[in-house]
Amino acid sequence: MMNSMNNIIKQIDDVLTITNSEIITNRQFAIDINSGDVHQSLAYLKSIGFTQLSILTCIDLIANNEFQLIYILNNWELGLFVIVRTIIPRDNPAFVTIINIFPGAKYYEREVHEFFGVTFEGNDSYSKPLLLEIWDDIPPLRKDFDPQVYSDSKFPKRDLDKIYRSKIGGVD
Amino acid sequence: MKEVKLFLGPQHPGMHGNYSVHMYVDGDIIKKARPTPGFLHRGFEKLMERRLWMGNLALIPRICVVEPDINEMVYAQGIETLANVEVPEKAHWIRMLILEMARLAIHIMGLGGIGGPTGMYTITYWAIAQRDLILDLFEEITGARVYHMYIVPGGVRKQLPVGILDKVSKLLDELDVKIPEYKELALKHPIIHKRIKDNIMLPADVVWELGVTGIGMRSAIGKEYDLRKVQPYARYDQVEFDVPIANYSDGLTRMNTKYKEIFQSIRILRQVIEKMPKEGEVRTRVSTGSALRWTVPAGMVYSAIESSRGEYGYFIVSDGKEMPYRIAVRGASFPQGLLGIEKYLVGHRIDDASLWMDTMGVCSPEIDR
Amino acid sequence: MVLENQDNRNLWEKIGDFFSANSIWMKWYCTGCGAIELPPTMTSRFDMERLGMGPMATPRQADVLLITGYLSSKTLRRVIYSYEQMQDPKYIVAFGSCTINGGIYYDSYATINQLDKYIPVDLYIAGCMPRPEGIMNAFADLITMIKKGQANGWRHYQENYEWYKQNQLDSLKEVIIHDEFHE
Repeated sequence: MMNSMNNIIKQIDDVLTITNSEIITNRQFAIDINSGDVHQSLAYLKSIGFTQLSILTCIDLIANNEFQLIYILNNWELGLFVIVRTIIPRDNPAFVTIINIFPGAKYYEREVHEFFGVTFEGNDSYSKPLLLEIWDDIPPLRKDFDPQVYSDSKFPKRDLDKIYRSKIGGVD
Repeated sequence: MKEVKLFLGPQHPGMHGNYSVHMYVDGDIIKKARPTPGFLHRGFEKLMERRLWMGNLALIPRICVVEPDINEMVYAQGIETLANVEVPEKAHWIRMLILEMARLAIHIMGLGGIGGPTGMYTITYWAIAQRDLILDLFEEITGARVYHMYIVPGGVRKQLPVGILDKVSKLLDELDVKIPEYKELALKHPIIHKRIKDNIMLPADVVWELGVTGIGMRSAIGKEYDLRKVQPYARYDQVEFDVPIANYSDGLTRMNTKYKEIFQSIRILRQVIEKMPKEGEVRTRVSTGSALRWTVPAGMVYSAIESSRGEYGYFIVSDGKEMPYRIAVRGASFPQGLLGIEKYLVGHRIDDASLWMDTMGVCSPEIDR
Repeated sequence: MVLENQDNRNLWEKIGDFFSANSIWMKWYCTGCGAIELPPTMTSRFDMERLGMGPMATPRQADVLLITGYLSSKTLRRVIYSYEQMQDPKYIVAFGSCTINGGIYYDSYATINQLDKYIPVDLYIAGCMPRPEGIMNAFADLITMIKKGQANGWRHYQENYEWYKQNQLDSLKEVIIHDEFHE
């Protein structure tokens, strides 16, 4: 298994411009790609057997003021996962949709927009609300959003005599 | 305009869970459909960033209500990969026992669930009662009926109770006799058969377009794309089982595939009981000190297993602190529950909408999270 | 707010309560995860029909609304809608710790923490999630309460409509449900 994965990585490395690759387990590996090359890379990966988009998600790297977009593709024939990672700026995050490569990404992009505020040019429904209704704050999965504060301000709590709470790692 | 706007759900007896499909209909035919998820949104992905690695164990089973054990398994498996924890041999087998029993429970419930939207309640009554007998065994093993919190990073929470394996084999013998009756009652019965035969199709190209996995995929493309075979986890590489496949994906084929999978689960469980080591530890201690202070090394991993509805995965990111940095959940029914409804429910009749949800196994809590 | 328990019903109301207590229709609305324990309660094993209870598809014919667990603010809007559609007398049974104080979702941005601020709750069932035995027990208690005239939540909602409405608007901003097509 390890051999075929190394071969695949080598094959990908020959064709695509990868800034970094990382082997995570013997069944999955991650590649870092410049944001400009993502569409071309995903199309290539799809053509060599990574035919299914398992998930499209985002990580808020607030320390670097960046978002990291994650595309996880699945190759059923070989039983391999590839994690495609790319960095986009955190201020005015914008990216281009991949629904012409993976149509199933439509709702994932809508979700990423709702949770992180990343816009996807070319996906005509990305800005519609999906899971939340009448949302009036910054996108909730950003690291600088505090759900406790939001919950306290919106939803009244029952008055209890004593609230037990542990302090771990400086966070209540 | 002849079209009428119709709300199917969230408060509707044919709807599975708290989910809604809004549509424009012309007569009986759906002209336009939009899924409306989010009624069960609890913000799990945010809450998990605010809990400790071990504290999350209480949270994760609640992501998928009908089949909670897969959540525990993907979470434990992901953390074990990141933290390089070796799981004891016996724990692997116990995990398989739990996972396959959970698959039995949800498949039986799924077979019965088809009775709701079709109006054949006998099968629903049978299936729910049968599932309860499995839940009783779960209660004996883990202490809870629905949310078990049994599979933990490093193994399982505790040893199996004495004599439980005999009870499981007794249940399997009983199922062997009873499940064929379900086929006679449900899948061959004209009430259900006529409704799902040659209806609610999911052709092979649509499978790839949407990214559907699991039963929907395997009964359309005819390939054994099952993560238990493709990427064996636990000890699935040491048991023999077949993956039921088909080449024609109407609702009936999907239900038949589900029916066949029940027998494969029974077969796996028999082998698990036979091959499980009699002695041995079931849990590796992941930390020497307090579980509260336990940290997981920095890194990211996508951990996926085969649920009853397809590939179910967590994408786990750790920055080496006491809490996860980010966990993203791939709900197995995300593609067919959202884009599938929007694109491919059009042209069906109104009453097919809940059959779509049922035969595809759309699970609303895992879409909403 | 505490719901008052004094019995000032007239004879006909007592008779009406006696009969309605013995045939309760439960509205078929799975609002949260506790709903997974309802099928066993409804079907052969625990069989709530022996208490004279049955499921009912439409709100206008139903007597009791079950809030089965956590409520996201999106669901709460629909719950208020369908609660107001129900005919008097109507009762609410709330499941699990999530409806009492938020449960494990105490800090979630999407779920409410205290249900009885928004709609009147007649009975709480503790636990996460309540077992079918607990649910049956609660239904038996509900029947006793109705017979004694103690399940007065719906009357309380009428009398304090302004207070409930204000709480709903404070948390939800608006209760009106808009076009779901977003077009």
